[in-house]
Parts: sequence; structure tokens; C-alpha cells
Amino acid sequence: MAKNLIFGLFLSLILITAFSATAKAQDARSIIEASFNYMRGNASIATIQMTIHRPDWERSMTIKAWTKGQKESLFRIIAPPKDNGNGTLKKGREMWIYNPRINRVIKLPPSMMSQAWMGSDFSNNDLSKTDSIINNYTHTLIGSENINGKKVYLIKSIPEPEAPVVWGMQILKIREDNIILSQEFFDEDFKPVKKMTGFQIQMLGGKLFPKVWRMQKTDDRNKYTELVYNELVFKQKLKNSLFTTSNLRNPGR
Amino acid sequence: MYLQIAWRNIWRNSRRTTVIMIAIIIGVWNMVFLGALMRGIVVAMVNNGISTLTGDIQVHQKGFRDDPVIENSIKNPELVENMLNNTLPSDARWASRVRVSAIANNARHSSSVTLVGIDPLREADISFIGSAAIQGSYLKPDDKNGIIVGQALVDKFETKLGYKLILMSQDTSLEIASRAFRISGIFKADLEFTEKKFVFVNMPVLQQMLKLQNGISEVSIILPDHQDALHVKNTLNAELPSNLEVNTWRELLPMLNAYLKIYDGFILIWYLVVFIAMGFGIVNTTLMAVFERMREFGLLKALGMKPGRIIAGVLTETLILLLIGMATGNILAFLCVYALSGSGIDLSAFAAGAEFAGMSRVIFPVISVWDLSAANLVVLVLGLLVSAYPAIKAARFTPVEALRHT
Repeated sequence: MAKNLIFGLFLSLILITAFSATAKAQDARSIIEASFNYMRGNASIATIQMTIHRPDWERSMTIKAWTKGQKESLFRIIAPPKDNGNGTLKKGREMWIYNPRINRVIKLPPSMMSQAWMGSDFSNNDLSKTDSIINNYTHTLIGSENINGKKVYLIKSIPEPEAPVVWGMQILKIREDNIILSQEFFDEDFKPVKKMTGFQIQMLGGKLFPKVWRMQKTDDRNKYTELVYNELVFKQKLKNSLFTTSNLRNPGR
Repeated sequence: MYLQIAWRNIWRNSRRTTVIMIAIIIGVWNMVFLGALMRGIVVAMVNNGISTLTGDIQVHQKGFRDDPVIENSIKNPELVENMLNNTLPSDARWASRVRVSAIANNARHSSSVTLVGIDPLREADISFIGSAAIQGSYLKPDDKNGIIVGQALVDKFETKLGYKLILMSQDTSLEIASRAFRISGIFKADLEFTEKKFVFVNMPVLQQMLKLQNGISEVSIILPDHQDALHVKNTLNAELPSNLEVNTWRELLPMLNAYLKIYDGFILIWYLVVFIAMGFGIVNTTLMAVFERMREFGLLKALGMKPGRIIAGVLTETLILLLIGMATGNILAFLCVYALSGSGIDLSAFAAGAEFAGMSRVIFPVISVWDLSAANLVVLVLGLLVSAYPAIKAARFTPVEALRHT
């Protein structure tokens, strides 16, 4: 009788810990999903100033960006005039670029996916695999801290063993109101490679949003790419015809 | 008689004879030994080319060689494989492969590589990967995630055994296919280029990744003798369906083939250059020897010796000089080649430069019958030819001239 009782207690203990572990993983995953949904909205239109900083030079350009859900986005450079009209269309994992000078839409081959996007610290892969963090990783909540009275979750994401991702680990800092504060990329030795950080959280497009984003290589402080959201509007819907190669080529039609 | 007289004549001035003999010895040694080294470089280049996934003969879908994309693969490999089993000589070996250009990625680096899907057991018999030194382990036939990469790539990617490598390529529906592999083996190759260029995975895994079903890119065949390639090619061509093409390594590696021809010509020119330097020495010495003996030749003439016999006599002297020089030079060269045949000449220190020319890191001299006979014939024939001048000169001396000469 007593034996049975102990066994029962033991069993329920195991069950509880197992359950709470999955609950925790579920938790971390839902935090990430919620925050990605929050940051992306259903659809958005933004004007972004992108600055590429290198030790000996710096250049900046203005980009107009349309996004719809996780899968579709369109970027078009509107300034400086030299680059005006250059565009990138992303649908799912596929990407096309358009260069007005040669008047051609090119579908990016696999060989170009790991190259830098417009010379920045973002690779084409970073753009095309944005949903990879949700689908290919196992997430664990490893802690939380208080920053300015708001709770910030620290989430460790380890890629599934077979997943085609180059990173060994990612660590995300997400504030309790769904704002991503930083996303850090690690190699397989868990050494940091690069980090994206959001600053100046303020009201943008009707919700709190970091106005400035910076992607920085960890081993070189002097190399970074900064995105400044000058305008941001969230929409319920955007037309499907926006995310087509013909619109990439002929804007405004 | 000629021999005996000639032998005595040449040793009348032993110092001069020794000097010219040393010149001939060095010349011949130089021709044979350097010729063997050059031949060694060429042979290594050819062997390298053939074992670096070329083989003596390859079978492709028509169009693959112009545009090596996944769409140009062989769709029905069973047919080809059956036919190869039936027609090839029994000691020929062959293996099928899938090969695509791909991008390898890890957290810090990316580079373009040739991703090769192989049948590990068959491939080991026919290309360098079977005999290459491998750290870790060679591909196991059922390994789903293993990938074998070169040492140079590992160094470049700052990675090591057991780490992940992501490969991206285009599949048959023109979508981007990517897959994670783990480095299960690191190979070393003769050329750094090979180490950077090729990565190996199991063929079924790659076929699945590229949605290729059981299609293959090529069949590579190794024959027991490289020279049979053309003959076997013709037999295969007759048997295979017309949408496939068969090529020998000479067609597959046109650069190498051109190199081979250049080297053949180059070696001959080199022989001539060495000989010209040596030839002047021979003419000079023989001429000296002839003028010294002017009175002697005059006397012989006065006694009624036929000019032809004088020519023969002088030529015999040169012949003895040449034969002794050639024999010693050849022996010396053989000794040098023998000494180097164990370890070769290690060019690792200049690897980057040697790579550029497509040379191996270690050169082993190779003596070929053709080079050897060319060198010796050049020396012998041209040596006799140039010494014909002093010989004729000697035959033309008249007794009167000889008397006047003091």
C-alpha cells in the first residue's frame, strides 16, 4: 500500500516535470511566434533608411518596403537616384532582383543566396529564411530580466539536427509586450557571429516599435548595417498583385 | 684496328679528353635526368587529372558537358549500367556519380563547391578519394548526413570533424534545395584546388535532395591501360543509345592534352639546346686534336692513306668519347632518378606556385623509353655529325701543307 503510494507520487512527479518542460518549450515558441506576428503585422508598408558602415566608408540608401505575412515582401530602393528602382522580391524561399539599368528580373540562384544583400551585413539568406527561426529551431526559455520595469524573456533557439541552417544557436531577447530587442547568431561552437539589435522603441504605425535596427558582426565593431524606420504603416491587407515580378519591374502599375 | 688506334689517340692528351668527356657526361646526365623530371611532372598531371573524377572514359547525357546542370542528367542509368557490365573488359572498373555545383555554407563562410554524390564502394576503386588519406572515416554506404570534404576547405571554413555544413543547389524543379550535412571525413589531395573544390556525399542522399529520382550525371570508367581508351570508346559508342555521349580523358581534359603535346615538343627543344652547347665543345676539342696532328695526317696521306679512312679514324675517336660520356651520363642520371624515386622532390614549400601550373606537391621523376632514346640518339647522331667537320678537315690535309706547318 505504502509502496504503491510512493510509486504513484513518483510517477506523477515525473509526469509533472515532463509536462512542465513541454509547456516551457511551448511557451518559448509561442513567445517567438507572438512577437514575430506583432512585429510583422498582417501587412506593412515602410520607408527605411539603410546605412552601411565600414571602417573606411559609409553609404546610405532609402528603401521602400512592403511586407505581407511571413512569406511575401518587396523592397525597392528610392534614393540615392543612382540606385533608384533596384528592387528585391521575396516569396517564400525564392527571391528575385530587378536592376533598372539592365531592365531584367533575375531569380536569385542558390549560389547568390549567401551573398550580401545590397552590400549590407544582411545576406540574401537572412531575408529569404526569416521564418526559419520559427520552423527549424527548438526554443527554450532560459531566463528573464527586468529592463526599465518591463520583463524581457531570454530565449535560446537550437536548430533541429537535420535543419539546413548554418547557425549553431540563436539567442533572442523579447520584451513582454512582444518587441524583439535583439537576435544574436552563434556558430556551432556557440561563439557569437553577429547580432541584430533594436533601439529607440517608440510609437510607429500605431504600435510600439524599435525605430532603429543594427546588424553588427561580433568580431568587428566597425562594420555594421543600420536600418532606421522613417515611416511605418500597418495594414490589414495588401494586394496580391503587389508581390509579383511584373510589379517588381514596373512599379505603380 | 680503328678502335685501338682511336683509343690510344684520345688518351694522348688525357687532360683535354677528360674535360670534354665531363662536358658530355654532364650534358647527357642533364638531358636524361631533367627529362625524367619533366616527364614526371607531366605523368603526375595526367594521373591527377584522370583520378580527379575524370577516369579514362566518361559517359554523359548529350549536352551535359556544355551545360553541366541537373536537367542534363542521365535519366535511365540501369540501361547504361547493364550495358557496361556486358561490354567492358572484365578488369575495367566503373562508377556512377551525381555531380552538381553547389554552395557550401557555415556560420562564418561560404564558397562554391562541386557536390558529388558517389557510391562509396565503387568510387574508392576508381578515383583519388579511395586512396586519399582521410581523417575521420570514409563514407559509409548508408550514411544519410555524412559529407567528406578536403583539408583546405576545412581550414578555410574554420570547421572540423562532426560539424555542420549546409549545401545549397538547384533541384530538378528549379527550386533551391538545401540540406545539412555533418563532416564525417576530411581528405587530403595532391592539389589544394581539389581539396577546396570537391565534397562527397552518398549518391541516394543527393538524388533525393535534388529530386532526381535515380538519375545520374555521369559514369566514369577506369581501364587497366590508359592507351585503350579510344578503342573502348568506339565500342561503347556503338552500343549506347544516341542521346548519350562517350568521351576519353583526352577529350575531357583538353588543356591537359595540349600540355602533353607542348611538353613533348619542349623536351626535344631542351635536348637540342643542351646539345648545341655541348656540340661546340666537341667540335672545338676535335678540331684542336686534329690540328695538333697535322704532320701526322700529312704523313699518312703521303704514305697513301685514303681520305675516307682518316675520316673514319677521327669519327671513331669522337664515337668513343661520346659512348663513354653517354654511358656514364646515363648511369649517373639513373642513380639520381633512383635516389629520388623514394621520396620525390617535395615542392610543398612552393605549393601555391606549383598549383598554378597544375603540378603535384611532390614530383617523382619518370624515365620513359621515348625520352631516353631521344636524348641518346640526339647526342650520338648530332655528335658524330658535328665532328664530321674536323674529320673532313683532317682528310683534306695535303702532305705539302703538313710540311709547311711547323
